[in-house]
Amino acid sequence: MLIKSSINILVVENDITVLQKCRELLVNEGHRVRTAESVEEALAIVQKQPGEVDIMLLSLELPGWGGLTLINVLQKAKREILIMTMSANCGEEAIEAVHAGAYDCIRKTFTADRFWTKINRAIEAFRLRRQLGVLTRQRQAVLSEVGHDENLSAILQSFTDGLVVTDWQTNIVLLNENAASLFDLTREKALGHPISDCIKSDELLSFFMRAIKSDSSLAPLMAGEEPVVKVGERAVRVHVDPVKNETGTAIGAACLFHDVTSISAMAKLRDDFLSMVSHELKAPLSSLLMQISVVLDGLAGDLSAKQSDLLGKAKEKTKGMITLVNDLLDYRRIQEGKSIQKIENLDMAEILRRTAELMRLSAEEKEITMSCDIAEELPSFTGDRGGVEAIFVNLISNAIKYTPKGGNVNVTLNKAGKEIRFRVVDNGMGIPSEDIDRIFDKFYRIKTEETRSISGSGLGLSIVKGIVDAHNGSIRVESEAGKGTTFVVSLPSEA
Amino acid sequence: MKKVLLVDDDVDFCEATKLLLDSKGYDVFLAHDGKAGLEKALAAQPDLVILDVMMPEMNGYDVCVVLKADAELKKIPVILLTAVDQHMFKTTYTNVMGCMTEADDYIAKPVEPEELVKRMEELLPKN
Repeated sequence: MLIKSSINILVVENDITVLQKCRELLVNEGHRVRTAESVEEALAIVQKQPGEVDIMLLSLELPGWGGLTLINVLQKAKREILIMTMSANCGEEAIEAVHAGAYDCIRKTFTADRFWTKINRAIEAFRLRRQLGVLTRQRQAVLSEVGHDENLSAILQSFTDGLVVTDWQTNIVLLNENAASLFDLTREKALGHPISDCIKSDELLSFFMRAIKSDSSLAPLMAGEEPVVKVGERAVRVHVDPVKNETGTAIGAACLFHDVTSISAMAKLRDDFLSMVSHELKAPLSSLLMQISVVLDGLAGDLSAKQSDLLGKAKEKTKGMITLVNDLLDYRRIQEGKSIQKIENLDMAEILRRTAELMRLSAEEKEITMSCDIAEELPSFTGDRGGVEAIFVNLISNAIKYTPKGGNVNVTLNKAGKEIRFRVVDNGMGIPSEDIDRIFDKFYRIKTEETRSISGSGLGLSIVKGIVDAHNGSIRVESEAGKGTTFVVSLPSEA
Repeated sequence: MKKVLLVDDDVDFCEATKLLLDSKGYDVFLAHDGKAGLEKALAAQPDLVILDVMMPEMNGYDVCVVLKADAELKKIPVILLTAVDQHMFKTTYTNVMGCMTEADDYIAKPVEPEELVKRMEELLPKN
């Protein structure tokens, strides 16, 4: 709040000479001066216009009600008026006035110098008092806002997540009970202490530092699936944000903690279970495939045409289940970040040639013409053999699956700049535009009349995407429903 | 007639595979655990051994190690046939266990009958 430089002064004096002298000195300095010749008159002015009097120059030698009485009245009314008394010799009565609340006393025999020494100090005191008043009111306003403070702290406590707020030096300034119990802390042990002393995780500390420095890399990290940090035995999902003041400067950081210890354990259990189930499924499926195959081949006696037909279908279904189980295993492995098991120098041309040879049979069954153009002199590529095979197999078998009888599938492998480019083009049923953004989602399958009879897990493309990503490559798809689909995989080569 | 020893604890798989191999003109011996497999190998002196990996008594790797440590038996080609995670099989086992056991080939279960026969023929000495 701005303090006016000129001051409203009320001079209360019945000695006209003194009154005039005061008035003249004050007006010359630009202050607004009012006068009163009695206590009653002064009181009337103060009561009528309470804000119009900042300082009162009050004679202690007034008739009727004495000046002292006025001081007491004003003090009781809690007026913010600074009272400067004037008397002949500033004796006992002056001291009594100061006790009652007056600021100081000026002898009426003052010189201009002396007058100003005292008055300037009084003006300064008044300004400080007023400033103090402003600050006090502001503080009260803030406090009454935090009068919701109890509610606020109840809200913070009611979070099931832990909350920790630090200042810009990463000292903890706020934490809720859940954070305290999560990390085995007490308010005393935590408040005012560096977070690194209370929650042992270098990763977490780095998030706080980055939040405080307003590091731009933090936001995208927190926007996706929030990071999980290990603190002792616990796995905690964290979300750290900077705390900013009105000007946008980070003055601290706040973090929400979500305990995922049991969820992590469940995820491990689920993966182990999935893996176990897959293996337990694969062994009997191996037997089943072998049994059906030998019977179908007539090794266990002659078959009627109908029996052959039915067994042929049973064999296809069995193979479909085997693919599904393999997909589940592949998918789990990619989830675990193990899609690259071994990096070695790969002869991409040879791998594709062999894969295409394997796929040729199923293409021929559907009377699909499959061409395979492999450029000579491909740049050398290092990667995971199983992964690359999975890319080839999945994309080519999809092309065959989703292309009707008599269609074409063209596979090419060549060099494009520093990349090896693998391209599969078919003239099959294509991908409807509304589905194209979701084809890499796990378990996503396009459901149309045409695809109804085609079996699959919906994992193939998400597996391919996972492997391509793990090799720092890219995959893109162009398709038009009814016209065909083109998948292009680009993998960075060494050269 | 070429003698083939198939060691696998899955009796149904053995039965069907025996039918397949019989039809291809092999003399097929069966064993359903590692120990029995090793005894049959010593007794029958097969031209090729197909070993499952996860078996009771003695697993396929251990059987393979014993076979390959024997001056006479080590010339018999060994195919490891397993339902262990295909990828693990191709990497971990090929590299670590494979080197240790010196198996001659590895095939992931499930295997197409034609593929199995093709891989066997590649390892058997030509007449």
